[in-house]
Amino acid sequence: MAAPRIDRAMVHHVAKLASLSLSDSEADRFAGELARIVSYVEQLETLDTKDVPPTAHVQLDRAPWRDDRVEPCLSHEDALAQAPRVEEGGFAVPTFVE
Amino acid sequence: MSEGVIAIADRVRSGEQSAEQVARDALARIEARDGELHAFLHVARDAALAQGRAVDARRARGEALGPLAGVPIAIKDAICTRGLPSTAGSRILEGYVPPYDATVIERLRAADAVVVGKTNMDEFAMGSSNENSAYGPAKNPWDVSRTPGGSSGGSAAAVAARLTPCSLGSDTGGSIRQPASLTGTVGLKPTYGRVSRYGLIAFASSLDQIGPFATDVRGAARVLSVVAGRDPHDSTSLAAPVEPFEEACGRSVRGLRIGVPEEYFAEGLDPEVAGSVRAAIRELEAEGCVVTPVTLPHTRLAVATYYVIATAEASSNLARFDGVRYGLRVGGERDLRAMYGATRDAGFGAEVKRRILLGTFVLSAGYYEAYYGKAQRVRTLVRRDFEAAFRDVDVVCSPTAPTPAFRLGEKVDDPLAMYLSDIYTLPASLAGLPAMSVPCAPTRAGLPVGLQIVARPLEESTMLAVAAAWEARSPARDRAP
Repeated sequence: MAAPRIDRAMVHHVAKLASLSLSDSEADRFAGELARIVSYVEQLETLDTKDVPPTAHVQLDRAPWRDDRVEPCLSHEDALAQAPRVEEGGFAVPTFVE
Repeated sequence: MSEGVIAIADRVRSGEQSAEQVARDALARIEARDGELHAFLHVARDAALAQGRAVDARRARGEALGPLAGVPIAIKDAICTRGLPSTAGSRILEGYVPPYDATVIERLRAADAVVVGKTNMDEFAMGSSNENSAYGPAKNPWDVSRTPGGSSGGSAAAVAARLTPCSLGSDTGGSIRQPASLTGTVGLKPTYGRVSRYGLIAFASSLDQIGPFATDVRGAARVLSVVAGRDPHDSTSLAAPVEPFEEACGRSVRGLRIGVPEEYFAEGLDPEVAGSVRAAIRELEAEGCVVTPVTLPHTRLAVATYYVIATAEASSNLARFDGVRYGLRVGGERDLRAMYGATRDAGFGAEVKRRILLGTFVLSAGYYEAYYGKAQRVRTLVRRDFEAAFRDVDVVCSPTAPTPAFRLGEKVDDPLAMYLSDIYTLPASLAGLPAMSVPCAPTRAGLPVGLQIVARPLEESTMLAVAAAWEARSPARDRAP
């Protein structure tokens, strides 16, 4: 495939997908750096991998089921203790449904 | 007095020295040296003394003490410790105090080890020099103008300077082995799944593995035997029995087959490092090992493969830092998405943003198969390289890092040059294999050099036998800065 053009607009697009707010000057700097890294990564294209299966993980065992019994867990209080804002016994977030 | 893990545990168990006194001595060394080294982000003075006294009380009651009785240990700040700050070297977790212990911490405490503090690291373990720590880098005790390596640089520096006899780090692409090499310590990355990742702040989940640093091979083996083993809290942890790793350190290596990959002695390798590592391999041959060349032809593609896979996984793992449940929160009284963006922009450093952007890009529509899919297939080829080599040999020996410790600031403006310093450690990570670094002869300037030993899955014992056999002959043995 053709190498993608990594410019300010592309970086802003990807940053939005990643929930990062970047200034234009940050986006410009990352565009240059990412373009170099992506062009380095393009060397993978030199290899024919049509018949090679992907490796997503190297886990040796299948994950076993644990016994279905209730075990102690964090208290409600402990779970909320590190939250920047708490309201009515829950994590407080800005309104996201009008 | 600075001694290894085994000697300290023996003294505390026999009652020759109290665990509280051992902790006091370690804290005094940290107090004296850490202003310069910055190995620690947090020193747990009160908790360490209390833990030491608790160990002494158990002994006074006649209870049998654990294998790490009174042994001071430093913990990489990516590992959650109940009641002690755990920031992973990031501003976004500044002040975060986890409400639970990682499984490895529970096991250390149950073995009567004493946690003395949390160590400096590259932010979210992303880096090879410690310069990506949001709190400023740790320094190399051999030359404080140089890096101790990364990302577990603080854990390596603490052990190299003999502030503690051992520490825990985590290794995703070399983050235990490379700093061990650069600081002249023993550093061990177990087989993927050997040690529980529960409570390790995740970077790349298919690669991350916790492991020990120590001043000697037996010390590392003892810490590994304490932290290893199946954990119901980590579905990727393995049920394989925890072998007597320490006993393996005394095993004969006569007849053991060592493979030397030609690809690891190619362009970019410092000639002094090459000479030191080849000399170590010759010594192992004199010990009765059989040395043969092997080929790992996809080595040259490991850096590209790793940076696609690790950043893809990181972009997903780091989505949890959103200003809602823990850590920093910036702005956003009215707009949720603006709050996410502002929090993450203020909380993450440049390298973390760079990797989140790269990882998001390689997973994005239109590019997923070309980059992420491709890298996963090349990862299979890297694994097959090792599978083929291990049909003919028992371990693979090579340099751990292409150069000795470089100067702080030397590579900071060139991300790609920094990534290439992990070229020899990345392949074993991609293949999930156990691998460790053991000090060999230093350079003429006195900088440490590491020999990397890689073994088959779950064959830490074989790897440790080779490491101990070399250590017994190594000119770097007991050499401290």
